[in-house]
Amino acid sequence: MPSKRSAAWLAENGAVAALVVLVVALSLLSSDFLSLTNLLNVGVQAAVTAILAFGSTFVIVTGGIDLSVGSVAALSAITLAWTATEGGLPWPAAVVLSLATGVACGLVNAALIAYGKLPPFIATLAMLGIARGLALVISQGSPIAMPEAVSHLGDTVGRFLPIPVLVMLVMGVVAAVILNRTYPGRAMYAIGGNEEAARLSGIKVSRIKLVTYALSGAFAAVAGVVLASRLASAQPQAAAGYELDAIAAVVIGGASLSGGKGRALGTLVGALILAVLRNGLNLLSVSAFWQQVVIGVVIALAVLVDTLRRRGTN
Amino acid sequence: MRIPAIVMALALGLTACGGGGDGLEIGMSVSTLNNPYFVQLRDGAQAQADKLGATLTVTDAQNDASQQVNQVQNFTSQNMKAIILNPVDSDAAAPAVTAAERVDVPVIAVDRGVNGVEVAQTVASDNVAGGKLAAQELARQMGEQGQAVVLQGTPGTSASRDRGRGFEEGIKAFPNIQVVARQPADFDRAKGLDVMTNLLQSHPDVTGVFAENDEMALGAIRALGSRAGKEVKVVGFDGTPHGLTAVKDGTLAATIAQQPKLLGQRAVEAAVKVARGETVEKSVAVPVKVATQQNVAEFETS
Amino acid sequence: MILRAEGLTKSFPGVRALDGVDLSLRPGEVHVLLGENGAGKSTLIKILSGAYRPDDGRVLMDGRPVEIRDAGDARRLGISTIYQEFNLVPELSVAENLSLGRPPRRFGLIDSAAMMRRGGELLDRVGVRVDPRTPVRRLGIARMQMVEIAKALALDARVLIMDEPTAVLTTGEVGKLFEIVRRLRDDGVAIVFITHHLEEIAEIGDRVTVLRDGRSVAEVPAGTSQDELVRLMVGRPIDQQFPRRPAELGEPLLSVRGLTRTGAFDDISFEVRAGEVVGLAGLVGAGRTEVARAVFGADRYDAGEVFVRGRRLPPADVHAAMEAGLGLVPEDRKGQGLVLGADIGENLGLVTLRDATRAGFVDLKGQRAAAARVAGQLGIRMTGLDQEVRTLSGGNQQKVVIGKWLVAEAGVLILDEPTRGVDVAAKVEIYQLVNALTDSGHAVLMISSDLPEVLGMSDRILVMARGRLVGELPAAEATQDGVMALAVTDVAGSRAE
Repeated sequence: MPSKRSAAWLAENGAVAALVVLVVALSLLSSDFLSLTNLLNVGVQAAVTAILAFGSTFVIVTGGIDLSVGSVAALSAITLAWTATEGGLPWPAAVVLSLATGVACGLVNAALIAYGKLPPFIATLAMLGIARGLALVISQGSPIAMPEAVSHLGDTVGRFLPIPVLVMLVMGVVAAVILNRTYPGRAMYAIGGNEEAARLSGIKVSRIKLVTYALSGAFAAVAGVVLASRLASAQPQAAAGYELDAIAAVVIGGASLSGGKGRALGTLVGALILAVLRNGLNLLSVSAFWQQVVIGVVIALAVLVDTLRRRGTN
Repeated sequence: MRIPAIVMALALGLTACGGGGDGLEIGMSVSTLNNPYFVQLRDGAQAQADKLGATLTVTDAQNDASQQVNQVQNFTSQNMKAIILNPVDSDAAAPAVTAAERVDVPVIAVDRGVNGVEVAQTVASDNVAGGKLAAQELARQMGEQGQAVVLQGTPGTSASRDRGRGFEEGIKAFPNIQVVARQPADFDRAKGLDVMTNLLQSHPDVTGVFAENDEMALGAIRALGSRAGKEVKVVGFDGTPHGLTAVKDGTLAATIAQQPKLLGQRAVEAAVKVARGETVEKSVAVPVKVATQQNVAEFETS
Repeated sequence: MILRAEGLTKSFPGVRALDGVDLSLRPGEVHVLLGENGAGKSTLIKILSGAYRPDDGRVLMDGRPVEIRDAGDARRLGISTIYQEFNLVPELSVAENLSLGRPPRRFGLIDSAAMMRRGGELLDRVGVRVDPRTPVRRLGIARMQMVEIAKALALDARVLIMDEPTAVLTTGEVGKLFEIVRRLRDDGVAIVFITHHLEEIAEIGDRVTVLRDGRSVAEVPAGTSQDELVRLMVGRPIDQQFPRRPAELGEPLLSVRGLTRTGAFDDISFEVRAGEVVGLAGLVGAGRTEVARAVFGADRYDAGEVFVRGRRLPPADVHAAMEAGLGLVPEDRKGQGLVLGADIGENLGLVTLRDATRAGFVDLKGQRAAAARVAGQLGIRMTGLDQEVRTLSGGNQQKVVIGKWLVAEAGVLILDEPTRGVDVAAKVEIYQLVNALTDSGHAVLMISSDLPEVLGMSDRILVMARGRLVGELPAAEATQDGVMALAVTDVAGSRAE
């Protein structure tokens, strides 16, 4: 009991340690950093990346990769806004349609991977282009206003608690429960750990992959809707490049790109590290060119700390 | 049965388009159609081409300079009579222009110039002048005093460089205005929202914001909430439909309206002229204008 | 004395793998390292090859203490290791593999003529006739092993460590290997030889160091009797090597009729009844594993039928086979049987994951309890159910693979080389388990290349050669020679091709 618990805890702790170091450093460097408002801001700014990254966690646990999440997020948000405004659908129907769009994109990815035997990198790279293109086609390249009711997702409950943070936490719990407690979740770890052993143990690998990529698509849709709600506007070019942030968050959180490892909590910490970093760089007025350097260095360091700690325990 | 019928109709429609007018074929490579501003530029060009009876083929370079070079090369092999180039990058566009001029296809640059080689005509609005105008308008609305922040575009792009330079030159004339932070938000609305939120933590007393495009300005307004347009004045750049609407609503103090449709229109006019062998001026400056709540109506119609 | 290890100690979380182990190697000797799985053999050779660093103790070469921090250090000291999993790049040629990392260069470019020439010389030294340009993936296991040995020679190895080199070889191939080992020994190389086949010790070895529970318990001459070696290794004598206890036969549980896949196997028909162990013998490559996988639904077949308890299984459907009560313990334990990075509990519960799902949630407690019960029943030596399977010894890993089918209560088990790379004591435990299974009415189909095992543990023996069933013998009447004669039957003439 204790060996695995503590090993897993330590694995997560690598990322947690990096986050703590970052927070302490920023608190010392900027007096504005450690305020409730600012920390909630960080939470809001982490939300979209975190939700995308929860979806990517499923995929990475199976040993795959999903490059299409940013584009799928944009397409789902555009679908919602377009069907609710131009299409005249009531907003709940538009929300359902938007989630269905995300799921559909994921299912296409999975079909290409599981039945077409395409490498996940290529299948989802194709979807990255397809989804972004469709978002542009539907929107004619221009932002579409979000329906009023859905835009409240970008507001706060009461005076303080931002809804994007709540959505992020709920999606995190959902991801954790799926990964830890359900058959598809456990099967994802087995497939990522050893696909052939999983198959010979009667796990229907192709079917689990369908579920995995569909979940990734659904999470991307939620992220897209949250992002659009914050802006009160669905933009075809939204979330471009976010897939790399999502992957970085998952890996910083202790997952292995070769599969079989990864946890929702770790992913949350990874997304928070990225958000804290960007927030801090703004507060410190670091120049535009240096910001990219710093972000790259911190991503490498965070993962390095984690691997070194884990090597130390082995 | 139905599907072939539709395909046939489409095919007929397409050939009808291709054969219409006097058939002068013009190729146009737009830096990106992933931005409403360039969509408008294309729309203006398309409308003018239709009016003049020319056939306009538009490609999207997706902000990739090397892809743009390929597109221009393809235009030359398709025997286009003139090429309208909206460069992804002013420096990187030079090889594309050289390639076209080697086979005597004239090039019109639009919105951004091309460095290092000569084109038949450059149709552009002046970003440096626009930045200066933005500084003056922001200063006026701030009462010529207080703290301001700048939301910068994607680092390294010429639009960001020129607008930023113009703004810095312009704001120098107002010694009581302090620029307290300059941070990048990559011309993106979501990033504009996040960066502005963060800057408000370290600089809560800001009363002026200059965003190097309207998208970032709209994000900043979202971050400012009810303070936008009242305590805090935000000035954007581009004059996109959403930007103009915000100006009308009073949340965006002003935007430096480029006139993308007019840019597209002028570019096509020039392209048709040079294709027919007429001479044109080396450069045409399409005016930028400050759009405020008072005069916003005149921009929306254009 | 070329190499001496003194008081080597190494601990892992929860386990003391080595506890003051001594080892001395003379030049020109074959030194057998003997011990059960988990006794510390792997840890010891990993320290000598630089993969692990000892917590305590030291290693001396030619009387001087040395530090072996990584594989590079080991190479410079002249220590080469041939693991069970070969370190060869399948897509590269034999010659390229032989000069991997330090290819001969001319003007900064690889001098491929020199590389081929050197490759050819090395291959000659180990007596393998193969074109150095052949990609390694096209070689069989035996020849890959020879290439590994040639690679060690290329590095001018003075100490050559061989981890169970005979485990994957056929009898004829073992003979060839021994010839090469003897030649190297005569050249003055010190060879550390790990094997579980006791009869090989007297044939090839000079001295034997016996490890038990992380300690070196004895250093004896290779001529020591097998019983004595077993006693040293296990700490107690083992009465019976093959304790088969025939059970009462019942209904046929597994029936295979006319199973055919072009190019792999042809017209295979047999039955396995409740309480019966059917052995499937034959040479490596005779098609036994292919048949087993097709029966289990892991691979497709072109013709024929498989019935479990009279119900026909759809082809190429593992899930259906499993539901019908069939289980497969595959030949490649690590590649196909286990999720190495996951823990024991997780692996044991793999097959029942789907069935343990209620209202969308996996009954983790129930899974855990079942895993604990089976782990106890099998006597898996572990720190707990959450120990990573990767860190278990081979025998215990194999118990986990068998265990997952026990958790699933599979009625028919196909065991493909169930004791390969498993030590004597764990082997006997696996045999006892087979007895227990047949006692309770299970049926077992056992593929094995270990003839004494097939003869000792089966009730009935099927022999395959070149993709066909060439004979069936009751175990009581079978002899090694009889089975072997059938296994080498040349059926090519009888095939309508």
